[in-house]
Amino acid sequence: MAHVIERMAYSSLIRESEDLGAGVFNKFGHTIAEADSTPMQLGCLPGYIQGFQSVLGVNIHPGDIIWNNDPYAGASHSPDIYAEGLIMNGIKFYEKGVRNETVAEIVRQNVRTPREVLGDLEAQVAGCRLGVKRFVELMDKYGKDTVLQASEELMDYSERVMRQAIAKVPDGAYEAESWLDDDGRNLGKRLRVHVKINIEGDELEVDVSGSSDQTPTAFNASYSGALCVSVYSVLRSIFLDTAVHEEFIPPNHGTFRPITVTARKGCIFNPIKPAATFSRANQVNTVADLIIKALAPVLPEQTCAGSSANIQFASYAGLDENSDYWVYIEVNEGSYGGRPGKDGMDAMDFSSWNTRNNPIEDLDMHKPMVCDRYELREDTGGAGRWRGGLGIVRKNRMLTDGFMTMEGDKHTVRPWGYKGGLPGNSASLIKNPDTNPEHLSSKLNGYTLIAGESIMVLVPSSGGYGDPLDRPAEQVYEDVLDDYVSEETALRDYGVIIKNRKLDLEASIENRKKLREKRGKVELYTE
Amino acid sequence: MAKAKLAVDVGGTFTDIILICEEKNTFTVHKVPSTIEDQSIGVVKGIEEICGNANIPLSDVDYILHGTTVATNITIERDGATVGMLTTKNYRDILHIARHKKVENFSIQQDLPWQSEPLVKRRHRLPITEKLSAPSGEITTPLKEEDVRAAVQQLKDSDVDVVIVCFMFSFLNDVHERRAKEIVNELWPEELCFTSSEVVPQIREYERFSTTAMNAYVAPKVSRYVDHLVDSLERIGSKGKLHIMQSSGGMASVEMATATPVTLLKSGPAGGILAAVRWGELDNIENLISVDIGGTSADISVIPNRTAKLVNSLDATVNSSPVLTPMVDVETIGAGGGSIAYVDSGGAFRVGPKSAGANPGPACYNQGGQDPCVTDANIVLGRLDKEQFLGGDLNIDPELSFKAMERLAKQLNMTTEEAALGVLKIINNHMALSVRASSVKKGTDPREFSLFAAGGAGPLHAVDLADAIDSKSVVVPTYPGVAAAIGLLVGNLKYDFIKSRVASSENITEEVISTINNDFEGLIDKAKTQLKKDGIDSKFIVIERIAECRYVGQGIELRVPLPEGELTEDSMNEIYNNFHKVHEQEYGHHFSDTHVQIITLRVIGTGQIPSMDIPKLESGNRDNPKEAIAYVRDTVFEIDGVIKRLPTPRFKRDKLLAHDMKNGPAIVVQRDSTTLIPPNWEATVSIYGTLLVSAKNITIETEQ
Repeated sequence: MAHVIERMAYSSLIRESEDLGAGVFNKFGHTIAEADSTPMQLGCLPGYIQGFQSVLGVNIHPGDIIWNNDPYAGASHSPDIYAEGLIMNGIKFYEKGVRNETVAEIVRQNVRTPREVLGDLEAQVAGCRLGVKRFVELMDKYGKDTVLQASEELMDYSERVMRQAIAKVPDGAYEAESWLDDDGRNLGKRLRVHVKINIEGDELEVDVSGSSDQTPTAFNASYSGALCVSVYSVLRSIFLDTAVHEEFIPPNHGTFRPITVTARKGCIFNPIKPAATFSRANQVNTVADLIIKALAPVLPEQTCAGSSANIQFASYAGLDENSDYWVYIEVNEGSYGGRPGKDGMDAMDFSSWNTRNNPIEDLDMHKPMVCDRYELREDTGGAGRWRGGLGIVRKNRMLTDGFMTMEGDKHTVRPWGYKGGLPGNSASLIKNPDTNPEHLSSKLNGYTLIAGESIMVLVPSSGGYGDPLDRPAEQVYEDVLDDYVSEETALRDYGVIIKNRKLDLEASIENRKKLREKRGKVELYTE
Repeated sequence: MAKAKLAVDVGGTFTDIILICEEKNTFTVHKVPSTIEDQSIGVVKGIEEICGNANIPLSDVDYILHGTTVATNITIERDGATVGMLTTKNYRDILHIARHKKVENFSIQQDLPWQSEPLVKRRHRLPITEKLSAPSGEITTPLKEEDVRAAVQQLKDSDVDVVIVCFMFSFLNDVHERRAKEIVNELWPEELCFTSSEVVPQIREYERFSTTAMNAYVAPKVSRYVDHLVDSLERIGSKGKLHIMQSSGGMASVEMATATPVTLLKSGPAGGILAAVRWGELDNIENLISVDIGGTSADISVIPNRTAKLVNSLDATVNSSPVLTPMVDVETIGAGGGSIAYVDSGGAFRVGPKSAGANPGPACYNQGGQDPCVTDANIVLGRLDKEQFLGGDLNIDPELSFKAMERLAKQLNMTTEEAALGVLKIINNHMALSVRASSVKKGTDPREFSLFAAGGAGPLHAVDLADAIDSKSVVVPTYPGVAAAIGLLVGNLKYDFIKSRVASSENITEEVISTINNDFEGLIDKAKTQLKKDGIDSKFIVIERIAECRYVGQGIELRVPLPEGELTEDSMNEIYNNFHKVHEQEYGHHFSDTHVQIITLRVIGTGQIPSMDIPKLESGNRDNPKEAIAYVRDTVFEIDGVIKRLPTPRFKRDKLLAHDMKNGPAIVVQRDSTTLIPPNWEATVSIYGTLLVSAKNITIETEQ
């Protein structure tokens, strides 16, 4: 199904970034199978189905293609194709195989690029039809009962594997908390994010009720489409890490049966209608990071130190020399904390985000904007036995007047270090860094920029894992040769003596011994 | 007419050699163990032996056609050259950041090879002050030559093996890269140096730099290997030309192969694809899916209209690094004779990707392997006979297969036969999924394709696999076990020359057209010069011109063939119109009112090598010919859900003649492979000895 949608889609976002989800579900909206595309699209699909069922009840027939993009009924966020958003739930785009031209016309009149949007919709219709056809073929070949029984067994199987993995964790409540910078309007007022994980036997509850109340801005995350997706995604990454598990565990409803996600009504993760829910990435990524943090002491081999837990989602726009409107959208990545046996991943979207960056050469060729710098942030990863991943620094310069919008966070929080590892570095956003530096807040809406002005985005570098004094001096030296770590940091954080790119191993050993005695026992978390 | 041709294909376990001589109408096949530490030892040994066996002096061989994994192995072992890089200041980490996309969606512990084992370490990526602007390519910051000199000195002190120069926007203007290279040559004359604009002058910095780095990474070792092989061949009296298979399915001369060794990364699988194409031509079959099943993996490739498909440049990667050279589209999955069957901790019945490989191998190899493998399942079901393992040269113990399968069956609460059939069902399903992914995703319907069964285990599984994907027929070539080597025999010399040139349909001027004409002239000249240098007569040179286009704003280009003759305004419009058609074919829709951009100009120069046909068979025209039957044994099949044990004749492949017909159930045995024809299927032999297997009542359309 995903193959068909990808091939037929009009939007390059769908085609090139695989920004789509597809799956097969039973009548309860339980996932039988899903495509391996963007994680932030997966796992939210059952919510969409339960959402339209609440409207249509049993009025559902073969050949119906049903529309649902209501963030209060399962959708991940209000649509990003047009700002206000046309929200429909339980509306039949096709009824018993016949297209509802009224719905098509409503879409045509409400979007900026009707041909592309309708083209993408038809691609989705083709994907659905193929899914139905293949599933019916399966039933013809093996019999309906066998197929439905087999899909139950597949769910039971995934459930068993997930339960086995959860059961290995000692029963108990595990908590962690962190902060979001602000809601974009009330600057300086930080918002609490709190995660409590209750484990009993082979069942797990994630409760975020202790988090801040919903905000008056669009900085709210929907419960099913945003929060649950993020929770499922990170729990899968911890318990069924695909790089570690030899077997492919079919991702289906069974995986999530042992998991409950709780969010107090009215909190930032379960807002009361009609609160706006456009920006959700930073909140749910923070939850994912806190789940890792809460579980790290009991699952040290399956977790990592504090990560960027962010997304810095920038959009730049203006009018070019022909007075044509241009817009450029950029997802600025983050990084991952140090891991048991590996340094953290550098320059990478966190958790359920996994986008692709745009070639700079393509950008500069086609937009009146120049990327003047795109590099790792040297010497910023949290020190540790396993170093925190490095974020990036990116500088974009406007060639026309225009404005920018930024959905960012983590200007006020540093990714935490684990078991003696040191914290990483927070994000920042600086206007005109070379001429007249001005620190901007993490969220901007229609912020004016004039031709020649620059914006520098610095994304968080992550926390270290384990005691920096345990990192072999030779490995610290390698880092210094690569300029990942400066000679000063090597001395201060690692106790390793390097002068003029020469390692003094004996003096380092002596120095580290002294530091270890002086310092005593390390903390579990550093922030 | 060529006197004789040799094809040498080096695989992980065996080096396959074929000697074909048209004069004497002979076709000789030979296998020697591969010598991994230096592939040329096995190659030379095998060549000497086959010439002896066939009684043809090596000096009579005009062409030695070679498929090698030498470049691929360097990338797998990660033991390539130490590379130094001069790159534009402020963009030092393009290779490290890559496209900031994780390999695995759901994994915290995953490894990112481009960060943990980079092609160029950060300490060797040295920033140089310089910058060009886009789209003009004008200099905005002049090259600071002191930076280059200091960097070269630093790389010299670090003793790197190769230097690459990778500057931003060099696809628009190579002036800074060229000047930097001049300085490298001046300060360090003996050092190998490549610029990104000579290796692949194409837009997209990460992909271009990565390709250039990969080229440098494999270059010294590949050159050493090729030089050594050339010397060794001369020493044993070879007078023929050595051609090496490239990832594109075209061959390269020694000179070109060593100049851009990055083109050899997929040399191995390309041969098999050419073989499938060749059989499509011989037996007149339009659409094929090639399935090459070996001991640990299966290579799957969809070949519509007898044309090998190239990987879309956005997806062309080698060991997680993008490589912008044309590559035949082959999907490799972990499924083969050595794939292990087991029950996992969740109680699921699994087969592969864990593999027992060749050592210890399946249980029946009696080398200590306890796990039941796919090969064991075939033995249990009577589909593989003890005496057919390399014609009986490999000593196996079927009893061990039964014991291993019984253990598995007990865990699953099944009979041994049920478990064995289950193993095959699962492994065939894995392959069917991969076939669907490679075909449906690209807009082709696998049901309209015939399967081309290659590799030792291909013909054993192909019919069941065809059944799983609703394909109607299976093509089993004469020597399925050495298909890749046969493909080498039909390879032509083929080189791509490209130039970046951005031209939008909204602004077609005389000046643009004449620039493009000049560009093409230059590229064609390069192609012809090289092919002539390789000894190709100009009447055997074929030139193809391509414009790589996209809609403004799209992230990927599609290839549009050019109209004949010098470009005019009309033909420019024809290019843009053809792009709409190509887009329609590829994605099912097009935007006729959106501007089209040419991004890259490409010339493919082909130097045709005299082709050689494989010998034809005499006509037999027999039904189930008794004289070709070696023996009859019981074989287990599942028919409409019922397990049946049927007496099944074993036909000797070399006793079959053209137009012979066999009804399933039947098995055809030969030294390098076994073909299974289940009940409800039948096979005929073509005049080239090909087995054409189809469901009863459906015949493959052929000329004969």
